[in-house]
Amino acid sequence: MHYPWWYVPHLTAPMLIAVIATVHVLVSHYAVGGGLFLAVELGYAYRVKDRDYLAYLKRHAGFFILLTVVFGAITGVGIWWTIALASPLATELLIRTFVFGWATEWVFFVLELASAFIVYYCWGKLAEKTHVTMAWIYALAAWISLVLITGITAFMSNPGDWLDKRDFWTAFFNPQFIPQTIARTGGALLLTSLYVYFHASLAIKDCRLRDMIGSRSARPALAGAIMVTVGGLGWYLFLPESAKAILLGVASLNILIALIFALTIITFFLLYFGPYRNPGWLSPGFAGALFLFGLAAFSTGEFIREAVRKPYVIYNVVLGNQIQPGEVPKLRNQGYLEGGVWTKAFVAKNYPQTISQGSIEENRLLELHAADRIGLGKTLFQYHCNDCHAGAVGYSAVGPLLRGRSREQVRSLIELLDSYVFMPPWAGTSDEAELLTDYLMSIAPHRPEGMRLGSQPPEVR
Amino acid sequence: MVSQTLVDAAQAAGLPAPHWFIQFFKVLGFTLHAVPMNLWYAGLLLALCLHLGRNQHGREFAARLIAQMPVIIAVGVNLGIVPLLFIQVAYYKFFYPATILMAWFWLGIIVLLIPAYYGVYVYAWGLRNSETDIKVWRRAAGWVAALFFIAIGFIFANGMSLMDHVDRWEEIWSKTNVAGAALGTGLNLGDPTLWPRWLLMFGLALGTTAVWALADTVFFNRKTAEEYNRWIWKFAKIVYTVGMIWAAAAGTWYVFGTWSEELRKTMFSFPAVLLTVLTALAPGLPWILIVTERRCPINKRLLVAGIALAQLGVLGINAVSRQVVQNVNIGMVFDVFSQKTDVQWGPMAMFLAALVIGLGILAWMLAQVLKSSANSPG
Repeated sequence: MHYPWWYVPHLTAPMLIAVIATVHVLVSHYAVGGGLFLAVELGYAYRVKDRDYLAYLKRHAGFFILLTVVFGAITGVGIWWTIALASPLATELLIRTFVFGWATEWVFFVLELASAFIVYYCWGKLAEKTHVTMAWIYALAAWISLVLITGITAFMSNPGDWLDKRDFWTAFFNPQFIPQTIARTGGALLLTSLYVYFHASLAIKDCRLRDMIGSRSARPALAGAIMVTVGGLGWYLFLPESAKAILLGVASLNILIALIFALTIITFFLLYFGPYRNPGWLSPGFAGALFLFGLAAFSTGEFIREAVRKPYVIYNVVLGNQIQPGEVPKLRNQGYLEGGVWTKAFVAKNYPQTISQGSIEENRLLELHAADRIGLGKTLFQYHCNDCHAGAVGYSAVGPLLRGRSREQVRSLIELLDSYVFMPPWAGTSDEAELLTDYLMSIAPHRPEGMRLGSQPPEVR
Repeated sequence: MVSQTLVDAAQAAGLPAPHWFIQFFKVLGFTLHAVPMNLWYAGLLLALCLHLGRNQHGREFAARLIAQMPVIIAVGVNLGIVPLLFIQVAYYKFFYPATILMAWFWLGIIVLLIPAYYGVYVYAWGLRNSETDIKVWRRAAGWVAALFFIAIGFIFANGMSLMDHVDRWEEIWSKTNVAGAALGTGLNLGDPTLWPRWLLMFGLALGTTAVWALADTVFFNRKTAEEYNRWIWKFAKIVYTVGMIWAAAAGTWYVFGTWSEELRKTMFSFPAVLLTVLTALAPGLPWILIVTERRCPINKRLLVAGIALAQLGVLGINAVSRQVVQNVNIGMVFDVFSQKTDVQWGPMAMFLAALVIGLGILAWMLAQVLKSSANSPG
């Protein structure tokens, strides 16, 4: 609307955000928890003068830097890149609201980078106390980064009173802030232990050392699992009612909720009976399975967190199709194509016969040839629907969803779009609804042959 | 003109900072980002070439620069966040459409940056084992990284030039859309400013690399032989001279061959003409200091510190000029400064306090590193 829509065939642009964000959080939580791990364990290893453990910690720090400073940091920038491409209006509003939150987070990112490099590259050169202090600077800077970013991402789930007050602090300390900070801190602890187990199981042959690592990292992992559970419950309690309704009402989310419970319980039991009670179990196979279960639970959680916001990108502030709820009545009145900067320019250039005195004449839209009506219907689809749905084929494709429906049913579905709690309101005129119907009918397949629904007598008894 | 109508006139809320604040941090961030960016842009390529050659000093410098490169890249990426954050605060109406029109290429920056960064690590860690006998696959990784960095520079030049030239949007969009939605496969290749902009930065990057070579030798490399010192000064003279000529040629092409009449009129009228002239002449100062080094009576460390500051000044003046040119270009369509502001004083104070404290902690950390390296025998 305000910006050109980026058409990503089959996948949809916002799904790119989901893919990159999920990959990023799997590393970024390790970047936070790993800092705490290194700080605590470095202090311990120096205290007990365990040279083997120190040697392992240096190896782990190298792996940690390679993964978090390169992949973690760049994919973090990648999320920023992708949200600006796929959700420009939401990004514009987030940046304007939180520019100083992000700028402050950048300061801590500077400290993270500097301290991480110093911890690794000055290993053995710094005094022990200074070395541990550097590791603690990293750990604290990374955790503060997590807190600052969580304030921003939590705002998207529930902006709370910001809608009335419109100030930074109300936005930052939103109802979701504390639950999500607890959950993410716990997630960082849990995920880090899983990374450590996996890395140690592959890198260490010495049983004493491996058992010690297994045992020492079990408590933070279990504490992390409890924090994730507590934070997750808080997250649910402070969700807007509509998000709770979506969580209960959408079948795919029901399955994912069941999956996340199952994965969390499996991870917890594996941790308890594995590293906590029997550190000797830490073979590469066991650690690998634990790691994969943890990653799967985490990814599922992130997906659910993203999905329950529908139909918004920022709850009650920006809809998925990059308009603000307050714009809907105006668009319904003047037309979705007329109201959008890029849609209007597209119509003016390609369908000049519909333009009169610089505006789109609604009644001329239906006078277009059938192919042009379908073409303009597709434009409406791209700007109104493609944020969540592919067209004929692809992610949540509309074609198969409308299979076998009559024109009247499709038309009525458009007009009553927000009767589904997770769908945005239709934001166009009734003539535009006709155009969109033309397009949707052109991509909706026929009802499958051979279905028996009781309207015909059974052939075999 | 259709392109003008592609700029959304609406403003949902006031800008959270005064205009001067946004401009200041955008320019400061870009200037600081330009130092490490110049080193991976031209410096890495130069180092890889030197490392292939037979000159022992050249190989030594190349090995040092490549070994430093992972940290340089991390710092550069980090500092790049600042201008990209503030560009989105005030220039969102231009930044978002321009990058969406070339979305796949823009996203390609991230896709190229990850392997490029790892490629540098692969090469740098290969140097730990032997400074001469680098395995072929490690060499290949380094070269791929250098090429990727150059490609990234080209994509950035596309994005920034497209952002400045709204009149290019319609043509690109009309060629790369599906029912009005951008495919994200456009590039701003038809913009005459693109090529000299891209090449101009390469010239500046050569200059920064030359200055870095001097700074590394004087401040960070405590084991240098006199012969190496002499070589590095000679190397810096040659590279800086080539870079300056390169930048002068690209700059002349950019200003006299591609600027619109309106832009030229503004940039050659008082007071902007002072900035234009200063930008053109600025590289002369570090160059003079480098070539007259032997006749300079002052201490070498002091001289190199002066050269480094002068080069930072070159990049800073260049960044200011770029900002002014961007404001003029965009100003033909939309007055960025007419946007209302609703300053968030409290959060701004939080950021500035964090910045001061963060710089203090950073200074303490670096002091510890210097202290430890002074105490260590190596």
